[in-house]
Order: sequence, then structure tokens, then C-alpha cells
Amino acid sequence: MKTNTRHLMFTALAAAALAGCGKPPAPTSAEPSASPAAQAPAGDAEKKLSLFCWSEYVPQSVIDQFTKETGIKVSVENYASNEEMLAKLLAGGGSYDLIQPSEYVIEGLIKENLLTPIDHAAIPNIKNLAPDFVNMSFDPGNKFTIPYMAGTVGIVVNTALVTDEIKGYRDVFQDKYKKNIVVLDDAREIVSWGLDSIDIPVNDVSDANLAKVKPVLAKWLPLVKVYDSDSPKTALLNGDVAIGVVWGGEGAKLLEADKKFQWVAPAEGSHLFVDSLAVPKTAKHVKNAELFMNFILRPDISAKISEEFPYLNPNLAARELLTEAQRTNPASFPTAAELANMQTFKDIGGQASKVDELVTSMKAQ
Amino acid sequence: MAGVVAGAAAADPSSFKRKPGLMAWLVLLPLLVWLVLFVVVPTVMLVGVSFSERDALGRVVWNFNTENYLRALDWDTLKALPQLLPQNLSEGTDAILKQDGVSGDPSLTQRLRGIGAGIATTFNAFVWFRILLISIWYALLTTIICMVIGYPVAYFIGRSSERMRIILMTLVMIPFWTSFLIRTYAWITILSKDGLVNSFLVAAQIIPEPMTILYTPFASVLGLVYNYLPFMILPIYTSVERLDNAMVEAAYDLGAGPVRAFSQVIIPLTRPGIVAGILLVFVPSIAMFAITNLMGGGNPPTIGEVIYKQFTSGRNQPFGAALGTLLLVTFIISLWLTRKQREE
Repeated sequence: MKTNTRHLMFTALAAAALAGCGKPPAPTSAEPSASPAAQAPAGDAEKKLSLFCWSEYVPQSVIDQFTKETGIKVSVENYASNEEMLAKLLAGGGSYDLIQPSEYVIEGLIKENLLTPIDHAAIPNIKNLAPDFVNMSFDPGNKFTIPYMAGTVGIVVNTALVTDEIKGYRDVFQDKYKKNIVVLDDAREIVSWGLDSIDIPVNDVSDANLAKVKPVLAKWLPLVKVYDSDSPKTALLNGDVAIGVVWGGEGAKLLEADKKFQWVAPAEGSHLFVDSLAVPKTAKHVKNAELFMNFILRPDISAKISEEFPYLNPNLAARELLTEAQRTNPASFPTAAELANMQTFKDIGGQASKVDELVTSMKAQ
Repeated sequence: MAGVVAGAAAADPSSFKRKPGLMAWLVLLPLLVWLVLFVVVPTVMLVGVSFSERDALGRVVWNFNTENYLRALDWDTLKALPQLLPQNLSEGTDAILKQDGVSGDPSLTQRLRGIGAGIATTFNAFVWFRILLISIWYALLTTIICMVIGYPVAYFIGRSSERMRIILMTLVMIPFWTSFLIRTYAWITILSKDGLVNSFLVAAQIIPEPMTILYTPFASVLGLVYNYLPFMILPIYTSVERLDNAMVEAAYDLGAGPVRAFSQVIIPLTRPGIVAGILLVFVPSIAMFAITNLMGGGNPPTIGEVIYKQFTSGRNQPFGAALGTLLLVTFIISLWLTRKQREE
């Protein structure tokens, strides 16, 4: 072997650099505030709270204010999908006091007895919630969860590039828009649009129904240019695509950014998601978690969250604090008729991998 | 990976023809602990999980089965192949005839086109294997382009004066001072329709309207080449640097032209660097998904992305582990195939 030291050194260097190439997780630590408020509400003895939440969902200013008012130091860790959160929670790696799961995951977590019931007496602000968002099917009586933000999936059209009227998914996935479409990179979502278009309930993902939706996706997915769940607005803003099927919050930001973007609630129906705050069984600071829940339900705080992340705010008192433009943004706040046309996701258990396989194979054709 | 192999080989005391003493083991201990903790244990876990099942929430259930591998290898499709292939072939020919609006016996070209269509349909039925092949194809393309660009650059740097060499090598390394993600996002702003390249070309009236560059396979490969090019340049550079000039001169003295001197003297002498470069580019490019996702729009999916999805949204760690193990086997095979070249 003729390897000399220099060669070795470079190879090792290269290997070390390679190891740093993966997508790094982005755990951020909240700035601990030095000035706790004079009045201390009832919390845990230890002034700490570990929050495990979606990225781009809880504004740093809200966390800072919570620390300032209560003296509770919040450590924040982020995730990009419900499943990522589940995997970390179930692996028992970290001890989280608050998590932010979506409706179908809550159902599974309750079923598996993995959540701690919350004390409504500690959360008086629950009265601010709109009647539509309390006592929802995934958590009757809100025994375990408090809705944080809700939202929908819909179509954003760049009217500078598309002149035809777009009403639903069928108008989006046309040959003339080939390679001009961005969609969420989310198998369950994509399959639900297909099911909506052939009038099958989105939670009815039996093998037979997946077989029925297959030809629809076989036609649709080759037309897609970009799959992006994290920031689908980028491709639309840069002009790389003309139409997108995106999260409501992303759509609302596009509408704020430029008048040329138009929001369309799909005629076939779409998905209403409800992200809630919940306390895992393994939480160490349950009282602090309840304090935080009560805090984000305060109208001024909830309005602040809406300002930064314009999703569908379930907090009626907070909606009153929003500007006219924010309240009438169709991507944030769907009409009653549109809401009636939406379905929430239910836990589909093992079928999830079949949904994933179907979409993967249709993407790769 | 190559670093680990080279490191272990360099520490191999067999060339001294005596057993390592206690002291040698003590010196080796940190490395051995590192290897066991971060290479052996994770690999064993990966292989173990790949033979397990998962429950509805995605937790691993230790119930031995080979289902994940059968699925990863598209076993059902493979089993049905004897029926599937003839059926697809005849359907392919029928479709071509229908398309051409002809009835009756197909002509030879129509028959051939029918066979082509039938084979394509059959190939499409292999979900995971095809994604692996697409990924290998991207990685191969990346490696070839890196080689074509990287070798002349490395050769030029290696033959420069001492001072120039330091400057040029620093220039090669500078991009690594910035986060990999930031560099990839920078490419998005450069290549998008409203980006730098298109704005410049349109403003200079070279093209009438913006081209589609971002979110294409071209953008994916461009991103991969950009990121892995230094890994090709560095090992070749070290080989070129210690290339004995007397050998090259001797070749010329003995009547070899530039082409012959290059192919029969320079290439063989720099071969260890070339092989190291190929491995350092090829192996990580297969599994890289951040670039293909951000610059290629995740379209088509690559094997790295598919594995990542199994561990997250697919809620299927055992299947992801099986795909990962198969990928590992691919790497081991490629290391084994190049072992001769690396040992010389």
C-alpha cells in the first residue's frame, strides 16, 4: 500500500466534510429572559418548559413574551412533519412537555394512551375558541388538546401566467400546465385530492379505493414540476411555476405579497387540518404546559401568531384583533360553504405505507 | 467511508510482521471505540430493524420477517414477470397499432416499438428497484462530469509552483466554509426563472424569455457536481503532486507522444487518486436527497429521499432500514469491485 500521509489526511478531511452534508435538524433554544414578572402564576416548581413544535409555526416573540411574563424558560425543538415528531416522541429520546400534533395523529396518540389529560380550570381562555373548533371528533370534550391553528389546502393561481378560470384539482392537472405546477410533497395529501376528485371520502383508503385513485394520479403526477411541503410558495414567487396546491398559510402569504396571486378553494373539496397543543404522558412540567396553552389562547397573543403565520385562527376573540385585510384573506379564512366541503384526516394506521408506495411509484413514472 | 477504510488499513500492523503490543492497542482504543459506537452498532441496528415489523404509530415491533426485503426488491412484480412481460408486450403492440390507426398485422418497426413500450411498462412496475437505478444513474453522471472537470483542474494545481498550489487549493476549499444548505439555496436564486442567470440573459437579449433551469434533472446534477467536485479534485491532486516528473520525461525520451504518455504513464501513476475520487463522489451522490429535493424539486424521487420518507412520513422504519441495507450492500459491492485499484 502506497498511501502517504498527505493522501490520507485529505481523504479523512473529505470524509469529515461529507459527514456534515446531511440535512441538519434545527433545534433552537429560546433566549432565557432575565426579568421574570412580579406576579408568578401557579406553575411547576421548576421554571422550565420544553416545547416540541412545527418549524415556522410558533413566533419567537410569543415565546419571549411568555418567558418574560412567567419566568419560565422555554426550550424549543422543531419538526417538519407529524411523523418526525411521533418517531422522536416514541423513541423516548427527549422529554417534551408540549407537542403540536395534527388531528389524525392526536387520534392515534389518544388511542395508545400517550397523552396526559389537561386541567380546564387552568386554561380559562379556552372560552375564546370558536364553537367549530371545540369538542372536535378527534378529541371529544377537549380532554387532551387545545387547538393551536387550523388551516386548509387549496390552489394558488398566478393570474399573470394563467388566464383560464381554475375551480378545482381537475382544472389544475391539465396537460397545458405540464411542468408548471407545484404541489405539497405529502403522499396522504396528494391521495386525498385524487379521492376528492372521484367522490370517495378521504379517510376511506382501502386497497380497492387506492386502486381506483391510481389512474387519476398516473395522469396527474407526471404534470407536476416541484414537490415541496416546506416552502411551496418559493417556486410560485420565483415564477418557476404558475399554479400550486399549497397550505392555506403559504397561500395567504402569497396573496399578501402580490395581487397577481389568486386563491381557489378546490370545488372537489379539500383537507381541513387542526394542529393542537397536547401534553405527552412523559411530560415533566404539566402545569407549565397548561400555562402556555392558556397564554397562546389569549386574544392578543393568538392575533400575534396569526400575523406571522396567517393560518385559520380558531380563536374568535383574536380574530377581532386582526386587520380587515387579514380577516378577509380567503386563504386564511374559508367561507362557511367552503368549510362544509372540507374533511379532516383520520388515523389510517398501516395503510399509510400503501398510500406512500402509491404516490412514490406514480412520482417516479 | 474511504477514509475509514484507508485509516484502518494504515493502522494495520501486519506489514511489520509482529503482533501489536499493549501500547499499540491503547493508542488504537479511541479509534476502536469510535468505530464500534458509530459504525458497527448503527449498522447492526439497521440490519436488525430491517427484519422487523412496525405498528400503526410506526413503532418497531421485533417480529422477525423478510417482508421488507421482498417489498424492496419488488418481489411480487418479479414473481409475476413470466405472465406480466408477454402480456405487456402484446398490449404494447396493440397500443402502437391503435395509435397509428392500423388494423391487421403489425410491421417490423411497429413490432419493435411495441416491444419497447411493453418493456417500459414492465420496468415501470418495479417501484423501488427503478428508483435505485435512477439514483445510481444520477450518481454515475455526477461522477463522470466531476472526473472530466476535476482531473484537469487537479493536474494543473498539482503541477503548479508551491505558492500557487496553496492559493489554488484554498480556492477549492473556500466553498466549504459556508453551510452546504446555504450554498444550495444560493443556487435556487441563481437558477430560478426570475433569477440571476435568466435576468442577465434576457436583459442582454440573448434569449427572448426566461429558460427553465431550476427543478429539472439538469439542476439536480449541477447541484451534485458543484457539491462533490472538491472530493474529486483533492485525492487526484495528492496523486498528481507526488507524481515523479522523471517518469513523464522518461516516457517522452522513449518516444511516447503526449497522448501515450498521459494514458500509459500519468493515468496509471495517479490511479489511486482517481479511484479514491470516484468513490468519494459516487457513493455519497447515490443517497444525497437534499440537493435533488431543493434543486430538482424532488422530481423524480431518489433512493435517499425515499429512505428518509420511510423514517418520517411513511412511518415505516423497518422498510426504510431494508432499503438502507440494500444501499449499503451496493456500496460494499462497489468498494469490493475497486479493491484491486485501491491496493496498488
